[in-house]
Amino acid sequence: MPPIVAEIAQLVVNGVMAGTILAVPAIGLTAIYAVLRFPNFALASHATIGAFAGYIANVKFGLPILPSVIVAFLAAGLVGVATDEVVLKQFRPSGFITTAIASIALTIALENIVRFGFGNELRGYALPIERDWRFASIRVGPQQLQNLAIAAVAMAALFSFLAFTRTGKAMRAVADNPMLASIKGINADMISRLVNFVGMGLAGLGGMLIGLDTSIDPLTGFRSILSVFAAAVVGGLGSIPGAVVGALTVGIGEELCLLFLSPDYRSVVGFVAILLVLTLRPRGILGQREY
Amino acid sequence: MTKHRVTPSRRQFVKGAGALALAGMAPAIVRAQGAPLQLGVLTPLTGAGGFDGPRMAKAMQAVMDEVNAAGGLLGRKVVLVIEDDQTNPEAAVRAARKLIDVTKVPVIMGTWASAVTAAVAPVCWESRTFLTTVSGADPITLLPHQGYLIRTQPNSQMQGAKHAEYIASTGAKRVFIMSIQAPFSQPTQNRVKEVLPKFGSELIGGLIYDKDKTTYRSEVDQALKANPDLIYLNGYAPDVTVLLRDLYRAGYTGPRFAQSYAVTTKVLESLPPEVTEGVITVQPSADIGSPAFDLAKQRLGVADPDSYETQATDWASLVALSIAKAKEATGTGIRDNVRKISQGGGVKVYSAVDGLKLLAQGKDINYEGASGPCDFNEIGDILDCKFRYNKVSGGKFVFVKVA
Repeated sequence: MPPIVAEIAQLVVNGVMAGTILAVPAIGLTAIYAVLRFPNFALASHATIGAFAGYIANVKFGLPILPSVIVAFLAAGLVGVATDEVVLKQFRPSGFITTAIASIALTIALENIVRFGFGNELRGYALPIERDWRFASIRVGPQQLQNLAIAAVAMAALFSFLAFTRTGKAMRAVADNPMLASIKGINADMISRLVNFVGMGLAGLGGMLIGLDTSIDPLTGFRSILSVFAAAVVGGLGSIPGAVVGALTVGIGEELCLLFLSPDYRSVVGFVAILLVLTLRPRGILGQREY
Repeated sequence: MTKHRVTPSRRQFVKGAGALALAGMAPAIVRAQGAPLQLGVLTPLTGAGGFDGPRMAKAMQAVMDEVNAAGGLLGRKVVLVIEDDQTNPEAAVRAARKLIDVTKVPVIMGTWASAVTAAVAPVCWESRTFLTTVSGADPITLLPHQGYLIRTQPNSQMQGAKHAEYIASTGAKRVFIMSIQAPFSQPTQNRVKEVLPKFGSELIGGLIYDKDKTTYRSEVDQALKANPDLIYLNGYAPDVTVLLRDLYRAGYTGPRFAQSYAVTTKVLESLPPEVTEGVITVQPSADIGSPAFDLAKQRLGVADPDSYETQATDWASLVALSIAKAKEATGTGIRDNVRKISQGGGVKVYSAVDGLKLLAQGKDINYEGASGPCDFNEIGDILDCKFRYNKVSGGKFVFVKVA
């Protein structure tokens, strides 16, 4: 393989891995937006909560990674339902800006609760780090492949849930037209709880996947929330396939930009992508309200 | 139910005002009779610096206790007025204003974070109050502080030079730097590049990476392409953790060099030992061989006082000696005398009390501190200091040397 082709291929591979992990919380953000119509920034702290729940399961109780990932999903999902019920729900009648700001306040509060319990130090999962595999001259990490697989399975499960189950269809109905859905007898409260559970659960899962690759501290979720938000907006806020496309665009874009730019400009790519997309195609790549 | 409001009569008001005016005059009378000499301490007792601040305040208090036991300063007992800067510039400025305007201290010792020092310094020099700090950012001493500031922490120029010298001494010939995007990154890279060739080594490349990324695989690829025999990871703990993982995954086995705040005990706990094996860490060190360090150990009852405790020890000593030399407790007096007692050909002294005795006999002194020689250039930076090097082995730090 000529060196430049190998380099581009490596960057694309790296981008796909980074993008897939980003896609998981981005789907959570976009799903909540689709049903409840506000960007829930509390996703950041729920990612952190998931990462820590997975940490407790993995390090304290000695569970392997896969069951720990499920614990991360469940813990963040349940906390998501509870915080929405107790806090954010009361703000929703005041409009989406108020609710979005309340969600920022909520995320800071939750992050500090985690800090209170665990302190500021970095923690890592009980997981051996393996050397990368090499195919021709392309490097792939076994852990990252596993993350990729977990992310892919989670996304596939969500798509099947939305496409084939009655509850999934009800969720799409509420997202599409809440008024009509309520006339049809769909319980909007139940659906909003469910979407919070799934959305925040995905955030928690994403938080743990990020933690598996890095290490975790109370800021784990907060550090990634801008990229997650960028991915959701680029793909079209409210569209689940859009979140995946957006995350891959941001992930691969950030890597490929290294061909021309110094690495310290990497984050710029996500935000330039937001500007371009919002200017040229305000509804996002796949448009809003698409399932 | 009726509400009663207490309204003072005019007579009561006049009486009260008179009493207040009398009270205002009182301190002047008391002061003339040898009231305690109040000196300001402004350390972070809470916030990011909350671990170091209280220990620094304690170290200063310990020095002043000794000074008081030996008769005080200018015939007065020294009292430290300690305020919390909360590691927050805004809170720090408020506390500094209180120390300067209400307590009227001649000196403020202790700012820790660079952002806090940058905010407090103008308040100090405007009111001719002396400031001592551990903030390492280069621009601090470049502020127009008119001499009312010294810092005992090495700046990034000195750190870069010392790091380069050590790296070259390990036999590394081809060095690569990966730095986080931060104000110190480019100056450190430039300095390392400048100094390495003097010791027969060279910087073959460097990159500055974005913080908060979940992976640095592509950055690691870029670094490894240059085929370095040592990689200097100049970042903070969260990103250096990711870099160490990614370097390991990429199969790099050569030496890695990092600041001790980037590879902490917690970082070692969070990573498998094979990933951190052989990492060299560096940090500004107390001058562990010096007599002043031994005295600080005894005074604090601590086996191994760190760089911050020893720097605080030195501020308290330098300030006490400067006031004695100036024969007045003013910021300008300290500014004009601090170099007269800390450097030059005088008798070497290692504690404030010993220095005060010699000054009383009219002798010249040169204070040699627990954190280093405490010699300052014209902008208030130290001229030399020691660094401590550790190496990671089996997931634990092993002491290499202080040099």
